[in-house]
Amino acid sequence: MTLTPPQGSPVRPGPPASRPPAPPPAAEPPSRPPAERAPRRAGRLTTFVRGRWLRTIPGRIGTHVALCLIAIVALLAVLTVAIGNARDSVQTIGHDAGPQVVATGTLYFALSDMDAQVANILLIGRDHNLGIGYAESLRVYERRRAEADAAAVQAAQLAGRDPALRRTVQEVLDGLGSYERLVGAAMKLNEQSGHAPGELPPDVVNAYRDATDLMKLQLLPKAYNITLDSGAHVRQAYETKRSAVLSGRTWVAVTGLIVLLLLVATQLYLARTFRRVLSPALVLATLGALALTAVGAGLLTAQAGHIRKAKEDGFDSILQLSRARAISHSAFADESRYLLDPGRADTYEQTYLDKSLSVIYPDIGDKPVNLENYSAGLDQRLGSYKAGQGSVPFLGFLGDEARAVEHGREADALLKTLTAYRNVQRNDVQMRRLASAGNRSGAVDWRMGRTSNSIRDFAAYDAALSSLTAVHQDAFDTAIEDADGGLRGWNAVPAASAAVLAVLIFLGVRRRLAEFR
Amino acid sequence: MRADQRTFRAAAASLAVAAALAALAACGLGGSEEESVADKDSLVIGVKADQPALGVKRPDGTYEGFDVDVATYIAARLGVPASRITFRTTNSSVREKVLADGTVDLVVATYSITAKRKMMVTFAGPYYVAHQDTFVRADAPSIKNVRDLKDKRICEVTGSNSWRRVIEERKVAAKPVTVNTYGACMDALAAGRLDAVSTDDLILAGFAAGRSGRMINAPFTDEKYGVGLKKGDLKGCEVVNRAITAMYQDGTAQRLLNKWFGESGLKLNTSVPQFEGCT
Repeated sequence: MTLTPPQGSPVRPGPPASRPPAPPPAAEPPSRPPAERAPRRAGRLTTFVRGRWLRTIPGRIGTHVALCLIAIVALLAVLTVAIGNARDSVQTIGHDAGPQVVATGTLYFALSDMDAQVANILLIGRDHNLGIGYAESLRVYERRRAEADAAAVQAAQLAGRDPALRRTVQEVLDGLGSYERLVGAAMKLNEQSGHAPGELPPDVVNAYRDATDLMKLQLLPKAYNITLDSGAHVRQAYETKRSAVLSGRTWVAVTGLIVLLLLVATQLYLARTFRRVLSPALVLATLGALALTAVGAGLLTAQAGHIRKAKEDGFDSILQLSRARAISHSAFADESRYLLDPGRADTYEQTYLDKSLSVIYPDIGDKPVNLENYSAGLDQRLGSYKAGQGSVPFLGFLGDEARAVEHGREADALLKTLTAYRNVQRNDVQMRRLASAGNRSGAVDWRMGRTSNSIRDFAAYDAALSSLTAVHQDAFDTAIEDADGGLRGWNAVPAASAAVLAVLIFLGVRRRLAEFR
Repeated sequence: MRADQRTFRAAAASLAVAAALAALAACGLGGSEEESVADKDSLVIGVKADQPALGVKRPDGTYEGFDVDVATYIAARLGVPASRITFRTTNSSVREKVLADGTVDLVVATYSITAKRKMMVTFAGPYYVAHQDTFVRADAPSIKNVRDLKDKRICEVTGSNSWRRVIEERKVAAKPVTVNTYGACMDALAAGRLDAVSTDDLILAGFAAGRSGRMINAPFTDEKYGVGLKKGDLKGCEVVNRAITAMYQDGTAQRLLNKWFGESGLKLNTSVPQFEGCT
């Protein structure tokens, strides 16, 4: 080739290209003279020799091809890493830690409901058919006990290598053993006394206080913290992975752009050098690279969206609502405790109010925060509230839910829940009215549903809350399904596409190189 | 020569541009994350200056008390030694403001977690759940719970709503007597101008130290003392929660509670409280 003239017109060495016979003589002479001059300085020799081959047309084509291939390998690498991150985050939130964290939420609920059942049994005393009845309460207690065990297993798995979390789980299990012994003692005294509903002898009350204090002060807080702490791990993994996916998308776009620029440069170089129109294979390679980059970046955007939907609309809401449910059950049991332990009635009334406030906290202005103003505030604020319209005039778990509510099924479920909640609170007002008027047996009958719909209303509220949770569970499942579906096949796609691009590039330059043989 | 220089230059230039773009993108993503107390080398912590056994400013300008010890422990768990903590007196009225404007990183100052405050502040903890309780003279055995405060003179401290909890929330017809501080309430109680002082048990225990009298141990509210952080610092909140868990697991909480309130006759709970959750 003619290209080596020390100061030739190297920019466009085109003409010779069309006539390949030249190469042998051309290739020889340039390589020799430098080799002879070189001995003077070894360093210069190597640089010179290295630079030399670049001046040949095949050398330059080779350089172009090499740069393109390096860029494609880089694109393949960033795509693989970014897709790996997306896969990890779906795995964590959708399949491993996410569902396990939700499962540990059952621990708090189950423990809290065990104590609620004990309170009911002690409250009804010898009247075994009051409320849901003695036998049914025992049955629920046993079921909750089994659920607590199952949830503790999940929690222990989640704790893995986190010693503090493992210790908390262990303490809950140990505490549960002690709790059951205390409950056993209280039940025994209860049976021996054979008291009328709501008229517990002091020894039964004291025995129950020991049990419920252990539950309230030690077991429940720890159970709650287990879900919070393992949820915090999921949140951190989510934040890290999501930002990794998003920055991976930027990297894919940037490397994809480089591949495109290099392919276009190669194309232009060949066109100028060989005075040809476009090489079809290279055009295909360019389009292919464009498509791969666009689809890759689009896939990552979609994945980030699915993961966020699963986390915020699914995971977070499900956890919030499961807390709302557990706390509501616990508050309902505080009504029983209020009736069975008159010495602590004020405390239980206050904890009932606190729990109710954490579920829904209506704006009651400067009025004192007591149950009377609470239920008045509920009627006032919830009466005029329309899901998904305007500002939400209440705080608490359901307030958070209302602020993020979407129209349609979710809004309907929320409204049903709110209505059912108001019924529960109205029953509470009436029960306390009876109790503070000194009509204890009337209050017990009211609470246990003999003269009211208390139990049925609470069950309706619980069902409404569950169907609201189901809406979020569906959103979660759909988002995870979409994420899984989007990633399916992407094990092979990047590598296969990169291979196809490489082949196309070779095809694109092969003819040109062949001219030099 | 020029030809391959150009090729090289073009390639080098495009790579450089790409690298710059990528670097920019990376910076942009990295920079968008909020600063967290979890990553700080030094901390400014807001505490009370006038609450015996909880947060007190000594004449030499240093602070002491349960809150101060808890804050020091948490900071150590966050990797900040005592030498790099600056305590700052933080009165109740400015707690939200100093957290929002960043003059204070953490507030550990008998700061009760409430639904309204949660709109403005991210709360870690509670590190302790205090309860409203009542302190009476030793010669008043008839007062056993909050109901017994009917017709009794109780302390109404300006700016505190503890008296409301008795009279308005519990609807106990006690007679409020206005006094400026809880310290003055204790004096008035001793002098017989009052029958009872009712507020958070830890605060009562602090003021009651060294005085004769009796804690009735009939708590009727839950006051969740939280660690206030700038709204949105979830990472910091989660790390503080782990520090509090550790504080209870390694026995420090029990030691500190006994150190500051052991002699008050108060029933102390040495099991980790139920956390509020970071929002």
